[in-house]
Amino acid sequence: MDWLEQELKHALARKDPPPGFAARVRRAAGRSRVFTMPRWMAATAALLVVTGAGIGWREHRGRVAKEQVMMAVRITAVQLNRIQTRVREVRP
Amino acid sequence: MQAEQAGCDFGGLVREHQSMVFSLSYHFLHDREMAEEVAQEVFLALHRHLAEIQSPEHAVFWLRKVAAQRSIDQARRRQRRPQVALEDVAEPAAAAPAGDPMLSEVLRRLIASLPEAPRMVMVMRYQEDLDPAEIAELLEMPLGTVKSHLQRSLALLREKLERRGLGEH
Repeated sequence: MDWLEQELKHALARKDPPPGFAARVRRAAGRSRVFTMPRWMAATAALLVVTGAGIGWREHRGRVAKEQVMMAVRITAVQLNRIQTRVREVRP
Repeated sequence: MQAEQAGCDFGGLVREHQSMVFSLSYHFLHDREMAEEVAQEVFLALHRHLAEIQSPEHAVFWLRKVAAQRSIDQARRRQRRPQVALEDVAEPAAAAPAGDPMLSEVLRRLIASLPEAPRMVMVMRYQEDLDPAEIAELLEMPLGTVKSHLQRSLALLREKLERRGLGEH
């Protein structure tokens, strides 16, 4: 190792981080642990959300279809009433 | 094997390796605040992956690798070359071998001006005292590339020092 490499080793010697660094890291790690959930729990939660959303969507589609059927029934009833009225008028 | 069985408790790893991780980042970024931020990120990542750590040696390898990656990411995010002020130069952690403080400062500035790949190779070589094969494995770089970065960087530093009248003494 020549003089330049010796000087580089000196210039790049390890430095201490600012005081309290280790304590700050441990506190931050403690905080992150509070919000960490196991993978199986996260996967179950995601599955429940997706299933719930699917059920909700199907219920919504069912309600929309039911409303459409009811609307068709109402329109048909109105038309039948009109026809019945016309038939009564035509009869002597 | 569980990390704690392998003697890798988180608090102990932070205490033992804080200087290494902070210095890798500091010598690469030349910014104390950014270096502290990166070092904290590295240890929080270690905390999340603690179960995967198999031995104290594995912990050191893992910390060096992640510190290098995070430091490079940080430098790219900030999109700036490191700038160093005299007051930013940290004190040595332990009694350093005798050397010229002025020359050390010039060398740190010159290293800070290198492109990111040779800069990280130089930091790993002269801060961590790793040989080229270890650096190649750590930085996932061909051995020839590591050797080439070392040779070119040393030649460049010699040339710049000579131009400043700080050549071989």
